[in-house]
Amino acid sequence: MTDVHAAVETADGPPDYFEVLVAALRELLVAKGLIGADEVRAMVETLDAHGPTIGAGLVARAWADPDFTARLLDDATAVVEQSGIDNYDDTRFIVLEQTPQVHNLVVCTLCSCYPRPLLGLPPDRYKSRPYRSRAVREPRAVLAEFGTRVPEDVRIRVHDSTANMRYLVMPMRPAGTEGWSEQQLADLVTRDSMIGVSTARRP
Amino acid sequence: MSEKSDLVVHRANDVGGRAPGGPLTRDEHEMTPSEKACHALLNVLDVHKLVNTEEKRRAVEDLGGQIIGSLTYYERCAVAASQVLMEKGLITSEELGRTMDDVRRRWAVEP
Amino acid sequence: MTARFGVGERVRIATRDAPGHVRTPVYVRGHVGVVERVLPVFLDPEQEAYGVNSGVGIRLYRVRIPQATLWPDYRGNADDVLELEVYEHWLEPAEEDPR
Repeated sequence: MTDVHAAVETADGPPDYFEVLVAALRELLVAKGLIGADEVRAMVETLDAHGPTIGAGLVARAWADPDFTARLLDDATAVVEQSGIDNYDDTRFIVLEQTPQVHNLVVCTLCSCYPRPLLGLPPDRYKSRPYRSRAVREPRAVLAEFGTRVPEDVRIRVHDSTANMRYLVMPMRPAGTEGWSEQQLADLVTRDSMIGVSTARRP
Repeated sequence: MSEKSDLVVHRANDVGGRAPGGPLTRDEHEMTPSEKACHALLNVLDVHKLVNTEEKRRAVEDLGGQIIGSLTYYERCAVAASQVLMEKGLITSEELGRTMDDVRRRWAVEP
Repeated sequence: MTARFGVGERVRIATRDAPGHVRTPVYVRGHVGVVERVLPVFLDPEQEAYGVNSGVGIRLYRVRIPQATLWPDYRGNADDVLELEVYEHWLEPAEEDPR
C-alpha cells in the first residue's frame, strides 16, 4: 500500500514542483473528506489492470467468429460490457474494421481521448502535437513514419475523437493463421494496430 | 480572423492540421508513480464530480499556449485541477500552498 | 429528443467563434459533410466545462468530410475522409451540392 506521505522516487533527482502539487492536492482533498484515503491507490490499481491485451482479446475473438465481429461493429459498448470487461469509466466505444479497401486511423486532435478500458493509457506519441496535428491532414505520411504503407487505391478514414465516443481499430487478420487459437491470434494484435498506425504482426 | 482573435479562438490545444507539423516523436517514457497518481487523482475527482473531465480540459486550455507548450501532459492536468477546485471554493490557495510546504518539509525538498 | 438530422444528410458545420471551451475544432468549422451516424444525447460539454451542470443534453453525430475539401494541398485518394463527432447545435442543413 502506498504511503501517501512517502517521498516519490523519480528517475532524476528530487521531487519537483508538480510532484509536490499532486501529492498536496491528494492530501488536502483526503483531509477535507472530499475523497477517500484509499481511492487514488485503488484507481491506480484499476489503471494498471487495463492494457492492450484486453483489446487484443476482443480482436482475436472477432477474427475467429464472424458473428462476434458483426456484434462489435454494431454496438461495441454492449459487447464490451457483456464480455465481462470492466468498463470502469463508462466509455462508449466504436469498433472500426480494417479491410483491403479501407484503412482506419484514430487521433484526438483536441486532447488525448483514447479507449482506455480496452488499451490502457495512451502512448506519448499519440498525445504528441506532431501526431495530433498531422494525422488529420496527411495520414499517409504519418503512417509511413510508422513504417505502414497504405496504397493510393485504399481509402483512408481518419477518425478525430472529438466528443464522447472512443475508437478501437480491428486490424486485418494476417495470412497463415488458419486454425490458430484465440490466444495465439491475440499475441499478434499490437496496440499500434488497434490505433490504426500499423498492421497486426505477421506469424 | 485577425491575428489577435485567432489567438483567442484557435486555442492552443486545437492543433488539427496546424503548422509546424514536424517529425513524429520517437521517445516513449515509462509513467512515473507521480504521473500515474495524477491520472488516478483526476479520475477520482471526476467520479466525485469535483472536477469533471470537461472542466479539466477547459482549465488546461485556459493555461494558454506558452504553458501548454512547456509543461508535460500531467503537469498541465495537475495545475488545471487545482485551479478548478479553487474556482469552486473547494480548496483555497492558502490551504493548498500550506499543504505543499508541508509535503516539501516531509520530503526534505527545497522549494 | 428526436434527432434533427439523419444518416446521409448533408450538413454544414457552424463558424461560431466565441471565446472559451468548445469541442468543434477550428479546422472543420464552415465545412460541409454528411452524417455518418446518429449518436445518443450527451451533456453539453460547453456548459459542463464551466461547472454550470445545467443538465442540458445535446444530440451528437458523426460527420464525414472529404479530405480534399478540408486541405487545399491534400494528396491522397479522392475518397479519403475525415470523420469526427459534432454536437447538433454546431450543425445546420447544407444546401444541395450544385455540382
